[in-house]
Amino acid sequence: MNTPMTPESRPRRSFVYRKLADLGARFVDCNEAAIAASCGGAEEAAAARNLGLADLSPLRRVGFKGPGAADWLLSQGVTVPEINRCAAQADGATLFRLGANDLMITADLGATATLPEKLLAAWTGLENPPQSPRGFPMPRQEGFCWFVLSGRHAAAAMAKICGVDLRPHKFGVGEIAQTSVARLSAVVARADINGTLAYHLFADSASAEYWWECILDAMQEFGGVPVGTEALAVL
Amino acid sequence: MSSHRLPEPHGTLIDRSRPITLRFEGRDYPAFQGDTITSALLANGERVLSRSFKYHRPRGTLSMMAQEANSLVQFPGEPSVRADTTAVPAGIDVRAQNYLGSLGHDWLSVIEWLSPFLPVGFYYKAFYKPKGVWKYWEKLIRVLAGLGRIDERTHHGYADKAYLFADVAVIGGGAAGMQAALDAAGAGAEVILIDDQPHLGGALNYARFDVEGRRGARLAEELRSKVAAAANVQVLSDAVCTGWFADNWLPVMQGQRLYKLRAKSVVIAAGALEQPMVFRNNDLPGIMYGSAAQRLIRLYGVKPGHRAVVATANDAGYAVALDLLEAGVTVAGVVDLRAEPSASPFASAIAARGIAVHQQHAVSEAIPGPGKRSLFGVEVDAITGRGVTAGRPHRIECDLLCTSVGYTPAGHIVCHSGGQLVYDADLAMLVIDRLPGGTAVPAGAVNAAFDLDAALAEGAHAGWRAAQLAGMKVGTEPPRPAARAGAAGQNHPWPIFPHPRGKDFIDFDEDLQVKDILNALADGYDDLDLVKRYSTVVMGPSQGRHSALNNMRLATVGAGRELQGATVTTQRPPFQPELLEVLGGRGFQPTRLTAMHHRHLELGAQMMPAGVWLRPAYYGAESRRGENITAEVRAVRENVGLIDVSTLGKLEIRGPDAAEFLNRMYTFAYAKQPVGRSRYVLMTDGTGAIADDGVACRMNEQHFYVTATTSGVDAVYRAMMRWNAEWRLNVDIANVTAAYAAVNLAGPKAREVLAKLVADVDLGSEGFPYMGVREGHVAGVPARLMRVGFVGELGYEIHVPASQGEHLWDALMSEGAAHGIRAFGVEAQRVLRLEKGHIIIGQDTDGLTFPQEAEMGWAIAASKPFYIGKRAIDVQAARPLTRRLIGFALAAGTTLPEECNLTVRGEEIVGRVTSIAMSASLGKAVGLAYVGPDQAEPGTRFDIKLGNGTTIQGEVVPVPFYDPENKRQEM
Repeated sequence: MNTPMTPESRPRRSFVYRKLADLGARFVDCNEAAIAASCGGAEEAAAARNLGLADLSPLRRVGFKGPGAADWLLSQGVTVPEINRCAAQADGATLFRLGANDLMITADLGATATLPEKLLAAWTGLENPPQSPRGFPMPRQEGFCWFVLSGRHAAAAMAKICGVDLRPHKFGVGEIAQTSVARLSAVVARADINGTLAYHLFADSASAEYWWECILDAMQEFGGVPVGTEALAVL
Repeated sequence: MSSHRLPEPHGTLIDRSRPITLRFEGRDYPAFQGDTITSALLANGERVLSRSFKYHRPRGTLSMMAQEANSLVQFPGEPSVRADTTAVPAGIDVRAQNYLGSLGHDWLSVIEWLSPFLPVGFYYKAFYKPKGVWKYWEKLIRVLAGLGRIDERTHHGYADKAYLFADVAVIGGGAAGMQAALDAAGAGAEVILIDDQPHLGGALNYARFDVEGRRGARLAEELRSKVAAAANVQVLSDAVCTGWFADNWLPVMQGQRLYKLRAKSVVIAAGALEQPMVFRNNDLPGIMYGSAAQRLIRLYGVKPGHRAVVATANDAGYAVALDLLEAGVTVAGVVDLRAEPSASPFASAIAARGIAVHQQHAVSEAIPGPGKRSLFGVEVDAITGRGVTAGRPHRIECDLLCTSVGYTPAGHIVCHSGGQLVYDADLAMLVIDRLPGGTAVPAGAVNAAFDLDAALAEGAHAGWRAAQLAGMKVGTEPPRPAARAGAAGQNHPWPIFPHPRGKDFIDFDEDLQVKDILNALADGYDDLDLVKRYSTVVMGPSQGRHSALNNMRLATVGAGRELQGATVTTQRPPFQPELLEVLGGRGFQPTRLTAMHHRHLELGAQMMPAGVWLRPAYYGAESRRGENITAEVRAVRENVGLIDVSTLGKLEIRGPDAAEFLNRMYTFAYAKQPVGRSRYVLMTDGTGAIADDGVACRMNEQHFYVTATTSGVDAVYRAMMRWNAEWRLNVDIANVTAAYAAVNLAGPKAREVLAKLVADVDLGSEGFPYMGVREGHVAGVPARLMRVGFVGELGYEIHVPASQGEHLWDALMSEGAAHGIRAFGVEAQRVLRLEKGHIIIGQDTDGLTFPQEAEMGWAIAASKPFYIGKRAIDVQAARPLTRRLIGFALAAGTTLPEECNLTVRGEEIVGRVTSIAMSASLGKAVGLAYVGPDQAEPGTRFDIKLGNGTTIQGEVVPVPFYDPENKRQEM
C-alpha cells in the first residue's frame, strides 16, 4: 500500500475522501480503496502524538451479529473478550465486542491482518452450513466510518463532544463505550497505538463528513490536525 | 499616572507594562491589562456607570462584584454586561444603559420628580382604567423600561461546551475553598476548584486580616502554591458555577464555554456578600461597600476617593479605614453604628491615627453633588432607636462613603440544591439551615465561619468529608471548629434608617425605597413572597443579593412577625446571567449524506432535507424549477432516469423465523413468498393506522432484505426490536440503512443501460421479471437488484455497498449518456408516482389512516391469525367508511389547489387534498384526495376549497392515471 493514487481511481472510497483530498492528502492503495497515508502536514507523527485525527474507513472490518455469533467466533479460534471490550488477535486484527452476540473484527493499521476476510469466507463459503446458530455477517465496513483520535489531548478533545469520562485513568485500554459523540450514536474504543493514547471511533457512515468536521472543531484549541496512517504507524 | 491610580504593590490584577484603552460613551480612557471596565473608569475619576431602572438616577459601583444592576453596561449586540467584572474590551465602544440624552444629563431623570405619584403597585392600579387604555400605556412603558438594547441581527458567536468529571467539586477559591480542595485531594480525590476571580484567594486577595495588612496576601500565596503543586486539583479560574442540579450536575460558565461538571460530592465555599446600609440617597456614586473599596485598592490599584467616611457596624470597617489611609485617602471619620466601642486592633490603630469615631451614630442622609453624579458629604446623626436617629445631624464633607454593616451568605448553590437559609436573630444573619442530598458540605463564610482560622479549619474538614462522600478511603477525621466562629458582631441587626423624604433604597435594581415595602404591606401583601411579587423587590438582575436581607427585616417586622427563623424567598438558577449563545454552545445537527451527494452537487442539484438526510429535490437552477422537474419526468417516461434512493431504510431480517416475523410485523403474507421475489410491505400500528411501507426481498428461505421509508426506518427498527423482545422469534434484526447505497434506474431504456454493466444476471423480462430480486455485479460492484415500479416505468433498484455507491452512479451515468440519461430528484419522483397513483406514507396518509380508507385493502392478508393492528383493522373494516382516498383530475384552466386544501360539502369538511401535480405526461392536473365514501365513484364531482376561500371542482377518476394496465413497468 505504498504507491500514490487518487481515491476516485478505485470503486471503494472512504466516506470522507474529499475532506482528505482537499487537505492535499497523499493516498495509497488499501483494501481496494485509497487510504490517506499522510495529510500533507509536516511532522505528522508529532502531530499524532499531540492530537491527530486519522481516517481508517478504507480498512477492512466485518461484523457478526445474532444468536450464536460469539460461540461461532470462539470456534474459529478467535479471542473473544467481555462485552464492551476489545481484544487484539494473533495476526494483528482487533475484535470489538459490542454485545453478547454483536462483534466486529477490524484489520490492523498496516492492513496485513487477514482475520476479517478469513472469518467472512469461513461463514459464507460453506456449501452446507451447519444448522447450529452462528450469527450473521454485518456490513460494518459499510455502515461504520472509522476514525482514530490519538495523542495527549485526545481525552480533552473528546470531552467536548462526548459525555462519557474517557480520561485515560478512567477509561482503560481495551474498554469500549457505546455512546453519543457530537449527537451521533457511536462506538468509542480505546486501543492505544504503541503507547500513544488512541480512541477508535465508529459511527454511521452516512454522517461521516458531519462527524469529521465536529471532531476537528473540538480538536482545534489543542492544535489538533488530521494525520495519515503513516504517522500512526511510527508512533 | 492619574491621581486615582495607586502605585505598586497595589493593583495585583493589573499589568502596568501593558497599557490599553477603554472606550466608554465615545471617550477614550487609559487603562491597563487586567482592568475591568469599572476599575478603568474609576481610575480616570469617572464614577457614573449607568442610570437607574425607574428614576434614572446616576449610579456607580456598589460592590465591585456586579452584585447589583448599577454596573450593567451595553456592548454592541449584548446588553447588561457586568462592568465590575468584565475586562476592558478591545475595539468596542462601551455604552451606558437606560438614559435619554447623555449619561451625564438624562432627560428621563424627570421621572424622579414624579415619584410621589408612582407608589409601589402603581402599575397594577393606574394603567388599566378606563378599560382598554393599557395597550397605549404598554407601548410607552416598554420604551422606558428594560435594561439595554438587544440587537436582533447579532451574529451567533462561537461558544462550546465540555464535560468535566470530578470526585469533589469545590465552589469558591477563597481560604476555605482552597483548604478544602487540598484536603480532599490529599485524601486521593480528584478535585475541581471553581473560582470566579482571575487569581485564587477570595477575600485574602483584598481584605485586611491583620493590622499590618500582610496575612491575607501571605496566606493566599501559600495556599495557591500548594494548590498548584497538588497534582489532582484542577483549577477553573474566572469561572462561575451558576447552579446546582440533580446528582451534582453543575453548570460552570467560563468565557464562551459551558462546562457540564458532574461531581460525586460538592464543597460549597462561595463566601459571603457584603450588604448595604439604608439611608436617604444611599445610591449616590461614591457610596460603596468597604470591600468594594478594598478590591479597587488592592486588586486594581485604584484610589476610590480622596476624602472618605466609613460607616460600619463591625471591625472590618476599621480595616477598610486603614486600607483607605494606606492608599492616601483622607478618612474624615468613622461612623460606628454600635453602642459599644470596638476593642479590635483595627479600631485601636484607627484611634492611634487620630481619626474621629462617631460611636452609635449612623449616616442619615447622603448629600449629592451636582446632578447627583457624585457624593458631596454625609449627614451623621446619633442613633436613638431601631432605625431612628436623633434628628440633629451634622455634616461631614466627603467624596467617598464606605459601608461595612454586614454580610449574607452567597448561598445560591445551597438554595438550588433544595437547602434553606434562615434568619438567626442572635447573629442578625442568614445562615444555612439544611443542605439536603447528603453530598454537599459548606465551608467558610458561606457557612458563617468569619474567623480566618476557623474558615481554614472548616475547609479542611469539608475537604475530608467531601472526599469521604466521594468514596475515598479517608484518614482520621480532622478537628471540626466551632460553628459560625467569628460571625457574632459582623452584622448590624437594623442598618435601615428611613427618611421622610425617601430615596432610602432597599433595592437598587428596581429603585425600591423603604416606603415601597411598607406600602406593599399596607396594601395587604404581608407575606415575603407577596411583597416580592407586588413590589418587584429582589426580582431585578441581582436577584436580591444586595436587597433580600434588608427587605426581609423590613417586611417581616413590618408584618408583625418574628425575624428569628424567617426564610428568604427562593433563589433559582442561574446565579449569574448566562448568555444564550453559551447555553446553546456549538450546535450539533447531524446530517446524513448519501454516497452520491457530491455528484448531485456537481450536477447543480437543489438539495432538500428528508429527515436528517439531504436529497436532491431537482437538478438545475431554482429559477427554472418547473421546467427542470418536467424535463426530469420526461426523461424517465421517454428515455431513462437515475434517482438516488440511498436514504430508503434497509433492514436485514435473518433467521429460521424470518418469514413468521414479517407475517407479524406487516399486513401481507410472507410465508410462501418465493426466494428471488419481492413483495410489498405495509405496517400498521396497534390502532390499525398505517405506519410505514416498503418491500421485502426474499434473499433465501431465512433471509429477507426489507426496505422502509426514509424517515420511518428508525421507528420501524425500534418497533421490530421491541416486538421481538416479546415474541422471542429466532431472527436477527439489523438496520443496515447506511451500509447500502441505492439507485433506481427507470425508464424504457433502463435495461439497455444496465445490460452494459451487468454480466452475471439475466436481465430479460422473463429471466428477471417485475418484482424479481437478483444478486450479481453492476460495474464490478456486488449488488442486489430489484425490479420495482414506483415511478411506473421499467425500473431496477440497485443496492450496493455504500463505499461503492459513487462508483455505481458514475458508471450508470456514463453508460446512460448515449440514451439521454438524466438524474432526477424527489420532485420528479413525486410527479411520476402520483401519475401511477402510488401513495406516500405520511403525505397521503396521516396518523389515523387505516388501510381500507387509502384503498390499501389489497395489501392485507385477512386470513392471517395475527399481525400488528389486525384486531383494530378488523373492527374498523366492519364499520362503514367515513372517508376514502381517491384520484381526481381537474379541468383544464382550473387553479391548482395546494396540498392540504380541504375537500368540502357545503359547510362540511370531508377531507383534504394530499397530493397534486400538473402532469405533462397526462396533459392535465391530477391528484389524490380524501372525500366522502359516497363521493368515491369515478365521475363524481366534489368541491375543493382553496386557500383564498374560493371553491373549485375536482372529478374522481380511476387510478393509476398513467398506464393503467401497468404494461410499462412490467415490460
